[in-house]
This record gives sequence, structure tokens and C-alpha cells, in this order.
Amino acid sequence: MKTYKMPVTVLIVLLLPLLLMPLTAIFIFAGEKGLAGFVQALSSQDAQFALRFSILIAFLTTLCNGILGTFAAYVLSKYRFPGRDALMVIVNLPVAIPTVVVGTSLVLLWGPIGLLGKYLDPIGIHPMFAPAGVLLAHIFVTFPYMLGAVKPVLDEQEAAFEEAAYTMGATPWQTFRYVILPALRGGLISGALLTFAHSLGEFGATVMVSGNLRLRTQTAPLFIFAQFEAGNLETANAVASVLALLSFVLFFSLIRMTAPRQSSR
Amino acid sequence: MALLLLYSLWPWLPGQKGSAKTIVLYGFSILGEVIDRAVFPAFQAHWKERTGEDVELISSYGGSGTVTNQILLGVPAQLAVVALELDAIKLDKAHRLDPRATLPNSGVLNQSPFVILVRPGNPKGIHDFADLAKPGIGIVHPDPLTSGGAQWALLAEYGSRLRTGGTAEEAEAQLLGIWRNVVSQAGSGRAARTQFDSGFGDALITYEQDVLHDTLSGHLKGEIVYPACTVMSEPTVVTLPRNIPEGDREMVQAFVDFLWSDEAQKLFVESGFRSLTKRLNHPFAPLPQAFTAADLGGWPRAKQEIVEDAWKGKVLPRLHP
Repeated sequence: MKTYKMPVTVLIVLLLPLLLMPLTAIFIFAGEKGLAGFVQALSSQDAQFALRFSILIAFLTTLCNGILGTFAAYVLSKYRFPGRDALMVIVNLPVAIPTVVVGTSLVLLWGPIGLLGKYLDPIGIHPMFAPAGVLLAHIFVTFPYMLGAVKPVLDEQEAAFEEAAYTMGATPWQTFRYVILPALRGGLISGALLTFAHSLGEFGATVMVSGNLRLRTQTAPLFIFAQFEAGNLETANAVASVLALLSFVLFFSLIRMTAPRQSSR
Repeated sequence: MALLLLYSLWPWLPGQKGSAKTIVLYGFSILGEVIDRAVFPAFQAHWKERTGEDVELISSYGGSGTVTNQILLGVPAQLAVVALELDAIKLDKAHRLDPRATLPNSGVLNQSPFVILVRPGNPKGIHDFADLAKPGIGIVHPDPLTSGGAQWALLAEYGSRLRTGGTAEEAEAQLLGIWRNVVSQAGSGRAARTQFDSGFGDALITYEQDVLHDTLSGHLKGEIVYPACTVMSEPTVVTLPRNIPEGDREMVQAFVDFLWSDEAQKLFVESGFRSLTKRLNHPFAPLPQAFTAADLGGWPRAKQEIVEDAWKGKVLPRLHP
């Protein structure tokens, strides 16, 4: 039997500088000025705003895409219609498009000089460079995650259960609520966690649409970038380590959520 | 999850409750610290004393070109401080008004000459812009596409030769020599400084203020080199009345006026800027040969001759043939 020691050692040695050490560096730099410095960096008004704003946007994005993505998954999974394949490609496109391009396109649509924005501007509606713009960008960028997590579950679901519900006199809503939704639980949770995590870390589109205003539209990743550019490494790293920690927690809950489902198969 | 939600929805911090009035300011990179930490808090106290109202600053800082383009795209800036008059002219044109006519010094807020920052002990023996053109020197330079500081740096690199008896060809040669040595470009003057501090390059061309600011606080890791002849940069204030609600006009105007008050100018001087109100300046290094954009025929002309014709037209094509 082959020994596993060699390949495993090689793998770890390879991964160390690629993945593990960069993450450690954040925490080491964040703690460089001691706990007091770390707490002080985190407790500034700007940092607090950025973190809260990011988390709030992540919740809202998850809520919007939870509903929109599940609906899209349901339609695409249960109905056959002309143009379905094209629609499938379109809804998954955000995974492939660079986020900066997403941001640019949103500004060119909704911004004051944009295709739609120029008509909204005179009546005082400015979705861009405002929290609404950030939300729009995050919904766009994270759209496929909910869909991707929910649709496979729907695809596998036997139509028979649904039909049985109808024959027993259930309304479409009752069928959805008591037959389809319970089966979707795992998919919904993992989709929500993925959406949340991606929204929390979104940078490229946000930097274009937010106007990067402190205390108004500056998300945590933008705050980190701005502080890093300004040379305030401790502040940048303090917030970065909080974001990293949050993503770890989200990621491990994701693994725990999905693992039992897979092993039961 | 519930805890996170609670944290994000917990009543916003003071000033975020909607009770305070706000001023939205976009500024070029190096201004961030002095405005957020010194000048605005001083104004805040004044306004509170005068009217009893709280006022918050909503600010964003980046390269001057970035800031200008953000404003052209429609960010809700009520006032902006750009690094050079050229960006102010762009904004004036787009908004079809000349708001700077009513401002002191045509909107010029203060001054800062361009200097060279080198590693401790000046190991490469850099004493002037000409030395930067020698082979074997690595220069960190802000990106002229987005940074106002980079445009000033171009004027310094070219103009210093021109104004000390050099011909246009010699000035071009110096510019080319310097740009052959550029090893890293950053989006703004402040970002270039951060790159230099992270260990890139042997020299950085930057605002005197950016270096003095750290000298005063004892954080400087490097040495400042004053070129014999250099450019005096002039940050410029622009107000954008269309983004200021009627009810806030007086307050924004009061803040703009405050920027040129002795108190604010002193705060700028303390952070390393040179005031145009000379009596407020503490002893800065004398720079008898320093020149301004006006000495080169004004920014529109300097932009055409130095940035467009010399740098973009002749230097760049030879760097990447």
C-alpha cells in the first residue's frame, strides 16, 4: 500500500504560502498593536459603520435573492418554455462577468447620466451612489448562488408529490408551502449562506456604484481598501480580520449544513 | 445570525440618526486625514456654537482624477477639493458655472511643493530630479490617469529642467529617463506613498505635505530631498450648488469660508501644507526656484505641452514600443 505521507506533506507545503500564510498575516498585523489597538481601530465610527452597513446589506441581499432566486429556480425547473435555455444562461451570467463590469453597467443604467437614470435624475431619484445602488449591485452579483443551490433540489424532486397535493385539493400556495418548501430547506440555507458571504466580501461592483462615502455608502471591504491606501494598516487589518473571521464562521456552518445531507445519500 | 442582524440594525451611531445635518465632501487623497481629523471637527465646534446644530461630514478621498470623474458621473458631492485647477476647470465646464470666481485665491486652498522621498541615509545619492533619470533607480510614481499628484509630478520632472536653462528636448529627455525608472504606479498620491512604505522602489515623488506630516508625528521612515527647482502644487476647492439642498446652503458656505480662516489655515500648516497667508507659515525649507502652473502658462497649456505632447506623445511610446 502506498504511503500517504509524501503527497500530503507536499500538498501542505504548497498550500502554506498560497493560502494559509496570507490569512495568518492579516491576524498577526491586526494584533500588532495589542488588543487595545485592535479594539480602538475597530471601535472608530467609520469602522463600525462600514461593518454594520456591510452586514445589513448582506442580509437584505440574501432576503431579496432568497425570494427572487427561489422563484427563478422554481420557474426554470418546473416549466418548459421557449427561450428557457437562454434564460438559464442569462441568470447564471453574473458568475462569469467581472464585478467591476457589473458596477460600470449599473452606473451607466441608473446613474445620473445613465440610460434610465437621466429620466430619474430630474425627479430626484438617485439610486446610484446611495445604499440602494449598493443593494442593486449585490443582488446582481450574488444572484446565481441562491438559484444554483435551490434548482438542483427542485430538479430532483418527484413531480408526483406535487401532483398528489393538487389531487388532494391543495391550492398552489399550500402545495408550495407544505410540499415543496420543506424539501428545499437545505438548499435554501446553503444558498443563503453563500449569498450572504459573497455580499459581505463584494468589492468590484460596490466600489463603482457606492461613491465610497464614509458613514453613508462605505462597506467594510471598501473601508479596508481606503484605509490600506491611506497607509493605516492596523485599522485596515482590524476590520479585515473581522471579515475573515465572519467568513470562516459562515463557511463552517455551510459545511455543517451540507455535510449530513450528502452522507445520507 | 440573529446576533449579526441585531448588530447591524442596532440604532445607528451618533450622527447617523438623521438628526444631524451633513456636508458631503469629495477630496483628493492626501487631504483625508487633515480634513477629517482636524479641520472639520474645528468647524463642527464653531457651527454648534453659532447655531446649536450638529453637523456631520460625509467624505470620500481618492486620486484627484478619480474624484473628478466620480463627480462627473453624478456622485452627490456638495464640495470638492481637487489636486489641480485642471480638474476644477473640468467640473466647472460640466456644471456650466464658475463657482470658483467667488472663492478666495480663485479657490486655491493652500500649497505644497513636490519633493523626493528616499530611503534612510539616501543610499542612491539622489539630490535632484536629474538624479532620478540615472539608470538603476526604482521610482514609485502615482498614475497620471487617476492622480492629480502624478500630473504635478510630471510638471516638476519636466519643468525643473526647462526652468533651469534647459531646452524642451532636454526636459523631455529628463522626463523619459525618470519614466524608464518607474517600477510601480498607484491610483493616488497617498496610495503611492503606501506602496513606497511597503518597500517598493528607491524614491517617491510626492507632496512635501505627505512627508512633513509624518516628520512632525515622528513616523517618517526615509529622508526628504528638496530639488533645487520644483513645482508648487495648488489644491483647488469647487462647490457644486446643484447638490446642496436649499436649507443647507448657508452651512456649506460657512464651511467653505471657514477653510480660508486663519484657524483652518493654521491646521493645514500644522499638517504640512504651506498657507497662502504667509504669516501663518512656520519656517518651511526655502524654495527660491519653485514655480507654479501659472509660470508654465497655466494648467490648460501645461497639460497640453507637458502631459499630452511630451509625456503621452513622446515618453510613453518609447517606454512600450
